[in-house]
Order: sequence, then structure tokens, then C-alpha cells
Amino acid sequence: MSDNLLLTSLWLVPLIGAGAVLLVPKGSERLVKYVATAFTAVAFALALAALAAYVGDARAAAPLAERAASDGFLVVRHDWIPAFHIQYYLGLDGISVSLVVLTGLTSLLACLASWPIEKQVRGYYSLFLLLAASMTGVFLALDLFLFYVFFEVMLLPMYFLIALWGGENREYAAIKFLLYTLFGSVFILVAILILYFWTGDAPAGDFRGGSFDIVKLTAIASTTGYYGRWIQDWVFVLFLVGFLVKLPSFPFHTWLPDAHVQAPTPISMILAGVLLKIGGYGMIRLAWPLAPAGALDWSYVVAALGVFSILYGALAAMAQTDFKKLVAYSSISHMGYVTLGMAAMNLAGGAGYYAYGVNGAMYMMLAHGITSAAMFFLVGVIYDRAHTRDLDRLGGLNNVMPLYGAVSYVIFFGSMGLPGLCGFVAEVFVVLAAFRYSVALGVLAAAAVVLTAGYILWTIQRVFLGRNEAWKGLPDLSPREIGISAPLVVLTVLMGVFPQALILSWMSPSVDRMVAGVASGATTAAGPMAGRPAEAPAIVAEAR
Amino acid sequence: MPWQVGLYAAAVLIPLAAFLVEILFIRSLGRLNARIATGAIAASCALSAIGFVDYFLVENRAAFAEPGHHEAAHGEAVPHEAHAWEGSFDWVILDAPQEGRRLAIPLGVRVDGLAAIMFLMVTFVATLIHAYSTSYMAEDARYPRFFAYLSLFCFSMLGLIASPNLFMIFLFWELVGVCSYLLIGFWYEEKPNADAANKAFVVNRVGDVGMLIGLGVLWSALGTFDFREVVAILRHPDGSLDAAAPISYGLLTLAGLGIFAGCAGKSAQFPLHVWLPDAMAGPTPVSALIHAATMVAAGVYLVARFFPVFTPEVLDVVAYAGGITLFIAATIAVVQTDYKKVLAYSTVSQLGFMMLALGVGGWAAGVFHLLTHAFFKALLFLGAGSVYHSVHTYEMAGLGGLRRKMPTTAATMLVGTLAISGVPFFSGFYSKDAILAAALAKVAAEPHHALLFVLPAVGAVLTTFYMFRMWFLVFAGEPRGFPDPHTARVIHAQDEEHALAAEDSEHGVGAAQHDLNPVAHAHESPAVMTRPLVILAALSVFSGWTIWLGLPIGTPVLERMLAYGAPAGAIDAHWAHWYAVGASLAILALGLLLAVLYYAPAGLPFAPSLRLSPARAAVRFRPLYALFKNKWYFDELYAMALVRPCLRLAKACAGLDRLVIDAVVNGAARTVELLSRAGGMFDRLGVDGLVNGLAASVYLAGDRARSIQTGRIRNYLMFLALAVIGLFAGVFAWVG
Repeated sequence: MSDNLLLTSLWLVPLIGAGAVLLVPKGSERLVKYVATAFTAVAFALALAALAAYVGDARAAAPLAERAASDGFLVVRHDWIPAFHIQYYLGLDGISVSLVVLTGLTSLLACLASWPIEKQVRGYYSLFLLLAASMTGVFLALDLFLFYVFFEVMLLPMYFLIALWGGENREYAAIKFLLYTLFGSVFILVAILILYFWTGDAPAGDFRGGSFDIVKLTAIASTTGYYGRWIQDWVFVLFLVGFLVKLPSFPFHTWLPDAHVQAPTPISMILAGVLLKIGGYGMIRLAWPLAPAGALDWSYVVAALGVFSILYGALAAMAQTDFKKLVAYSSISHMGYVTLGMAAMNLAGGAGYYAYGVNGAMYMMLAHGITSAAMFFLVGVIYDRAHTRDLDRLGGLNNVMPLYGAVSYVIFFGSMGLPGLCGFVAEVFVVLAAFRYSVALGVLAAAAVVLTAGYILWTIQRVFLGRNEAWKGLPDLSPREIGISAPLVVLTVLMGVFPQALILSWMSPSVDRMVAGVASGATTAAGPMAGRPAEAPAIVAEAR
Repeated sequence: MPWQVGLYAAAVLIPLAAFLVEILFIRSLGRLNARIATGAIAASCALSAIGFVDYFLVENRAAFAEPGHHEAAHGEAVPHEAHAWEGSFDWVILDAPQEGRRLAIPLGVRVDGLAAIMFLMVTFVATLIHAYSTSYMAEDARYPRFFAYLSLFCFSMLGLIASPNLFMIFLFWELVGVCSYLLIGFWYEEKPNADAANKAFVVNRVGDVGMLIGLGVLWSALGTFDFREVVAILRHPDGSLDAAAPISYGLLTLAGLGIFAGCAGKSAQFPLHVWLPDAMAGPTPVSALIHAATMVAAGVYLVARFFPVFTPEVLDVVAYAGGITLFIAATIAVVQTDYKKVLAYSTVSQLGFMMLALGVGGWAAGVFHLLTHAFFKALLFLGAGSVYHSVHTYEMAGLGGLRRKMPTTAATMLVGTLAISGVPFFSGFYSKDAILAAALAKVAAEPHHALLFVLPAVGAVLTTFYMFRMWFLVFAGEPRGFPDPHTARVIHAQDEEHALAAEDSEHGVGAAQHDLNPVAHAHESPAVMTRPLVILAALSVFSGWTIWLGLPIGTPVLERMLAYGAPAGAIDAHWAHWYAVGASLAILALGLLLAVLYYAPAGLPFAPSLRLSPARAAVRFRPLYALFKNKWYFDELYAMALVRPCLRLAKACAGLDRLVIDAVVNGAARTVELLSRAGGMFDRLGVDGLVNGLAASVYLAGDRARSIQTGRIRNYLMFLALAVIGLFAGVFAWVG
């Protein structure tokens, strides 16, 4: 299959699926499920094929820009709306391919977890596949306009999936999700438009702005002073706010607990497993590379925000009595590590330590994608049986559902960052990088491990330990449920034991390249600023 | 890579393989798990023995020379560090852009003299305890799982010892922690057991924060985790601190304190000692293996490893933490009515002795005590398990006279008691003597640290006292029995202190089920349980011996082997040796005298005519008694000062979300909605109005949806698609 077709089919297959399920005649709900599962399975297989192509081919070692210019390996580039220099530009590097595979896997597992859905099955699966298509598209897009289109399209199916198939308070949760995200995307849009219309602070060859090309803009930002320091400060903050909403990070996070609690189980899996990663992906692909100097200027604030989110999320999780809400808050805490890892920009003496931070952030996205999807699935399993998520009413499940207990232990410990499981690698990388950046922030981030242990162990105790006659006779995991949890458990372990062989060997070159670009851009942009005070307050600069 | 690396790597990995087999095939293997686990650890033990012999009898025979001799021969301060077998691979390696070197995280094996000795000790004790458990745990419903956990623990513990760097230590550090968690909460049906497991893990994590700080600070300054590389950067070859090292003295001290915090957590040192006594909720073989002989000694082991990295300030903190711990724990042990709890506090106290020794520079002494203690404390715990197996109670009040029914247990426990009390010819005598000598040397050099000798001296008196008290109450005299079912729970025996609720108990057996006279049908435990006791008893005697048939002349063999690998900065307390022997004997005499006066049963040949009553002492020293009985109120203090504020803060965070942030969000949404209602939905084109309008219209659509109800997806979709297209149209109208 040519790369052209492969990349396009990655998002097109689920989209076709979204249409296909609508064509299934009424009354054959089972067929809808099979069709939808088949489409997600094909999409996942395509994602794996892309990964295999990326890992197995030496050409993948070249940066995206080079590949786009020469052989077009795993890159697709056509004009779309030439009047505005908008391109249909897709491409994969280590960062995006990992998330595309995560999307494929999570979608497939969530699709299997959707089996118990009985209401409006065709509509559900259609929206579900539309969501999968748009998420994949976000990770593929290398054109800001295209990125934004996928980004916005993603909101609609998510809104309806929560609003129509959610719990009692679904309307409120769905609206809240939509408003928050639209609020964030306005910021992203403004940042994109600034980049497009900026006329330049310093010459950059024949570049005159007017481009949505992410690869080109990244190169401009990292090697020239075209985007001056003060405008980068603005662009960065705009991107940051937009993506922090998505991530989410304090103080833009309150949509998440509501959305999770109201969303049906498979949608929670998607939401936690993939959707939050779009925030992190936006940071690593857009916010930092397109405004590296701005990122450096704001780094302390952002890092502090990350640490605060880690602690705040963990504390808030500890106070919850709703199992699902607790897991939702734990997501906020974990995503704080992503923010911190990205922001721990100590570039003195080389970017080697910073590379650990960004690799840790990426690893956290993948690890959290696995464990959080699994945790929401596990919450759903018990909710289906016990019809409650109240932690004070659960208990004693270890003896009733031993397999469920064993799976949960691995996943929860993985989320807690136990060595040998996936969360550990991510946390330790980020915390180590944080120490290089600021000992004070490092100490605070390290202190969070106590809170994490606290809420996770307390949850385990309240759900699995003790005795509880009320739940006697609940069935253990069904074969379908084992099928969903097995890959997640296996990945949780393998990603913890073989981080280098399994992920980092092919992901970290791309991350390191991004780090090098940011490091160079963060210093380059200062050059053309020589005439102005280095730390000109953004407001003053704007007034100019 | 020398072949010994492979040998030790196999010793580490065999229990891991066993664990994987046991846990994955737990249903089909069933009780076979016990054999797999025992076989695996026995194989590791055999490999460790080969390595041990090779290290000390083939490659490093000089280790047996009297200390001081080989130093003269080599004439350098760190002469033996090179004698280590090692091999490693890069677990994680990231290219460092714009930088010459690469930052890698290696995993591997490094075995020097200390590690070789630790390997043999851990595998040997573990093998005995595995064998013992096959009988002790035989009736348990989760018998297969117990052995799977034990195998995982053995792997983690051996990996910890083999670690050449702090990162790998941390990795295994957490793993032994989780094994400990799983085994403390092994009988998780009872809430106290689960609570104890959580407490152990969380308190350890508090220490681990320190470890992470140490890791982060050292790594960000030096770019390596490797012990030897760190020491090479920090110190000149003569052992003095290198002022030009790329880390400030303050940060180095911070890193040292952080690492020690981790050690204090694991080794239950003040102020993180509170978890270990509760950890006795686990099965007794676990208490013997993990919470007495091996894991809790890991903190001491790591302090020994990091000894050259610690600044003098850190070492002082180590010494005082050890001193305070050993004293507090000993005072609490004196008033315990539960014999397992006595042993638990005794463990905390003995770990304090080790820390104090390391802190004052008695490197070999501290590690020496770690090893002797491992033998006699494992023995004592297994003995306690044997007693429990027979009488099904931990309360000493109703026991007594067990020596007739359980002669082997009684005799071996007596050996353990003599060893821990420091009776000459028993191992504890030699190691405690070495510690006191080190403390004496320190105090002689810096008299303002006099407390560092006073605390261990007083602690040692108390040790002798509470250990003999325990032995007398359990094994000597005649069976006392519990007066009635109620007091079987609430202890009030003739010669015991005031009525206090028993807070045991293993298996969560309510005390009401306790026999009124548990000794009546007591019986000696089967051979598979008593044989390990006998072997450990032998080791508790001989492991401390000097080459002069145990006479306190010269340095004990084991201490020599340890001192051979001692790092620069470890003191030689040779001159203090004879003073320490005198002090030890005086301490022993005093402790023994008190124990006999208070607790020796009538009818013993040496029983004195003068008798003191513990009950009267408890009344006379009521405030002190209450303080000790309530464990110095640490649990209450932590609950008040840490746990409850933390929960309150958690509630506040959750409340902030609902009451502040959400109020703002909801208010904003409502405002937007009202605004756009007032202005008409699509009145205000342009980006701002469009976005607000979209938001509001979505909100309205949601509102209407309630009345129309679901099933109109197409309408929604159409509406929203139109809205988005409108948005883009607007953007382009504005842009274009």
C-alpha cells in the first residue's frame, strides 16, 4: 500500500465505517456491532501497519521535513485550498505514530466495551466511528488548518455521545464539555491566525508568513527570529490555554470529572485514553515547537502549574467517594506530569536532561492512555454488576471476583507508578528532569507520590479488601471482558519492563529532535530581540 | 564480564521466573507452588554460596587478615573497592542533543564483599523460612498465592542487593515495598490488616519521596546514579571531599538526607518507625523474613552503600535517628503484652543500633549487627510463630510453662534471647560490642555527642530486660491460663500490668475464641518448623565468633570480612574495644538482674528471694507507663498533624472545584446565554459573537432537547454541522 493511501485510510476507514453503520437496516443491532467492530479492527490494523512501516524502515530516521521534501515516506502532501496555502498534509513521526496506535487500540477496545449499549445503536456506533476518525486525523495532520478541522469535528460526536448515552446529569456534562473545549479552541484559532498573518520580526529567507504548514513553521521558529520573542510569548500562551483545557490542567479541568462520570464506559475509555492526549500532543507538536522562546519565557509558570495540577488532582481524588470521579481526578493529576515534563526546560549545558522530561511526558501520555482506559473499563465492569460506584458501598470484591481483582491490582499499581509497570518510567523521567530544572518543583513533584499511593491504596482497600456479603455471587470477568483487559494488562507490564525496546527506541529520536529544535529556537529568537529589552513585558511590546 | 556476574544474575532471576510460573499457573499448580518457590530460593542460595566461597576463599583471602594489616600492606584508604564483579546494560538510553555524552540509566549486577555476604544471608534465611512456611501456612486457603508473593519478594530483595546504582535500588526498593504490602495485608478480609498494609506502604512512600529527592539531586548534578562513579566524583582518592565536585555542599547534604529518609522509611527509623509494629498483621514467616531479617535491613544496607556520599551532617542525623529510635522502641517493647509485638519493637530498636553504628562511623560494626541480627531475629520470629501455631494466641498473660510442651522451641528461643541480649559467646555480644566501641570512639573524639553512647547503653539494658521478660512469661514457670473469656481478651494476669485491650490478632481470630488455657493442649511444632529454628540457633551463636573459639580476642571473622570492604571514612575503634566489652557485660548484668527481679518465676534454682512487682511499678511510674504503652503517642500525633489535615485539604480541593470553579463556569455560561438571547442568536457575526453564539445555541439546543427528547440525532447533527460550517465561514470572511 502506498504511504499516500495508508495515511489517508487511517482516518478515512473509520469515517467510512461511520457511514456504513447507518446503512445497516433497522432491527439488526448485532450486525451494527459487528460492522463497527470490524471497521475499528481494520483501523487498528492499519495503525499497526503504519507503526511497522515506521519502525522497520531506515528512511523513518529522517526528519519529517526531509521526508516531505524528498521521498515522501509516511508523508502525504497535496494542495487543498491553494488560495490560503492550505494543504492536505499528513505525516507520521515517532510522536504521532505512537498516539495513532494508541487511538487504534483504545478505539477497538472501547468498541468491544460498547457491547452492552442497547439504545440507538446505529447512531451510537456512527458517532463513535466519527470520533475515532477525527482523533486519528488530529494526530496525522501537519497542516494547522487541517489540524483545526479535525480538532473541531471531534467535539461533535463526543458531545452527542455524552449527551445522549450518558448518565442522569448528561446534558449538563455534555454542554460543559463543549463550552470548555470551544473556549479553548478559540485560543488555538487565534494563535494559528497570528502565526499565519505575522509579517516577521527578522528575515527568514524567502519566508513571508501566510503558512499553515506545521513542519515549515517549526523550522522557522527553531532556526530564525521571524517570530520574535514577544509574539512567541503570546502565541505560546494562546496555544497553551487551548491545550490545557483539553489536557486538562488546573484551572481548566472541571469539565473532566463531570464528563467522565456521565459518559458511558467506552466513551470514558476514549476520553481518558485518547482525547486528553490531544492536549498533550498539541503542546508537544504546536505550542512548544512553534513558540519555543515563548515556552522558555513561560516555563516556570507552566512547570509550577503542572506541579500544582499533580498535587491538586491527587488531593481531589482522595476526597471522592464516586469510583469514577476518583479515576477522573487521578487523570488530572497524571496529566500534570505531562505539563511538568514539557515545561522543565533547563537548557543550560545542553538539552539532555530536558529530553528526559519530554520523553517522560510522552511516555506518560502512552502509559496513562493504557492505564486510565483500563481503569475506566474496570469501573464500568463493577458498575454493570453492582449498579453502584459508591466506594463506601463496595468492598470485599477480591474474594468474589478474583480475576477482576488481579487485573485491577496490576492496572492500579501501574497507575501508581510502581517500578516494573508503565507509569513508573514516565513519572521518574519527569521528576528527574524537574529536579534539573528546579529543586523546589522537583521536591513538590516527588512529594506527590505519597498522595498517589494514598488514594490508590485507599481505593483498592475500599473496593477489593474486607468482606461484603452484599456482593456475593457477582460473576467474575466474562471472556469478552478478559479480552478487553488482557492487552491493557500486558502492555502495562511490558511498557514498564522494556521501555527502551518497546517504545523509546523508535519514539525518542523524534522527541529528541523536537527537543533540539525547541532548544535552538528558544535561544535563536532572542537574537533579533537584541535591540529591545530581553524581558520586555508582553503588554508593553504589544502597545508598540 | 566475569562468570560470577552470570552466577549472581541467575540467583536474582530464578525467583522471578518462579514467581511468573506460580502466579500465571496458580490455579493448575495449586500447592505445588510451595515446592517451586522453595526450590527456586534454594537454588539461589546454592549459587550465592558458590559466589561467596569464590569471593572470600579464592579471590580475596586477604579478607581474613586482622584489620589494619592489609591497610598497612596497601597503604591506601580505599584499597578493596576494585574487588567487585560487575556487568550491566543500558535499560534506558536517550540521545542527548547538543551534548557530547548520553544520559543512560543502566541496570546490572555488581557484587562486592558486602553484597556476597548479604546474598548468602538473605537466600539462606529465606530458604529456611520457605521450608518453615510449607508447614506453618499449610491450612491457609491462599497457600499458593503466599508462595508466589514470597518468590516475588526474594527476587526484589536480591535485585536490591545486586544493584550497582541508586536508580536500580529505588526500583527494587519499591518492589520489596509492594511485596511487603501484599503480605502484610495477606489476610485482607480483616480491616486492621488492610489498614496496616496501607500504613506500611504510605509511610514507606514518605521515605521514598526523600529517595526521589536524592536521586533527582544527584542525577541532575552529576549525571550518574552509579555508587562508585558518584563517590569517585565526590571524593579524592584519600577519602576527603572534593571541593571542586559539580555539586554544592548544601545540595549534597540535601541529597544525603533524602536518601537517608528513604532508608529511615524502609528500616523503620524515627520518625518513620510507626509502620513496622503494625506490619505484624502479616503471617509470622513474613514477619521473620521481610520485617526482621531482610527487607527492613535494606535501609541499613543502603546507608552502608552510600556511606561515602554522606556529609558529616548527614551522618550525625543518621546516628541520632538511630539512637532515638533504639531508645523509643526499647521502652515500648518493655510494656507490650503481645510477644510478637515485643519482637516487632525489638526489631525497630535493633535497626536503630545499626543506624547509630553507621552514623558514628562504625561501618563494619553496623553491617555486622545487621547480619547477626538477621539470624537471631529470624529465629525469634519463627519461634514466636511456632508458639502461635501451638497456642493460637499472642497474649503472654495466659501463657507460661511452655518449655515442657515445646522444648525445642523454648531452647532455641532462649538461644535467640541470649544472642540479642549480648551474652558472651553468642553472636549478638560481638556485634553489639563493636557498636558500643564505635559509639565510644565517637564520643571520645567529640564529647558533646555523649548521648550517642548513653542511648545505646540504656537501650541495651532494656533489650536484655524485655527479651528475658518475654522468655520468662512464655516459657518459664507454670501455665497461667486466662481467668475467663473476657480477660482472655482484656489482659489482667496476676503479674501483668493493668487491663488493656489486646489489639492482635493473626487470622483475626476474635479473642473470644481463645482458649482459657491455651497451654493445655500445646504441642511441639513439626520437624519442618523446628529444624530451621535449630539451624538459625546455631548461626545465632557462631556467626559472631572470632577465630579464637569465640573468645572475645581479636576481631570476629565476619566483621573482618566486612571491614575488608569498608569505605574510606569508616573509623577504627580498636582501642575502645575492651572498654566496650566491660560496658557490655555491665549492661547485660543490669538488664538480666532487672528481668529476674521482676519476672523470674518462683521455683527456679537461681530465683531470688527479693521480688519486684511490675504492676506496682506501672502504678508508681504511671505517666511513663502510659507514654510507653501508647507508643509515645506517635500514631495520634501523626493522625492529628498529618493525616487529618491532608484529608481536610483534599476535601477543600474537591470543594473548590464544585463551589468556586464550577460556579464561575456555570455563571459564565448563563451570562453568555442571556446575552445572546437578548441580542438574538445570530445577530452578532464576527469571530467573538459567533463563538459565543455557538456556545449559547448549543446550550439552548440542549435545553430544547429535554422537551423534544432523544431520537432526533439527525437534527442535532445538522444543526451542529451548520454551526461549525458557519464558524469556518466566519473565520474566512474575517481572514479573507
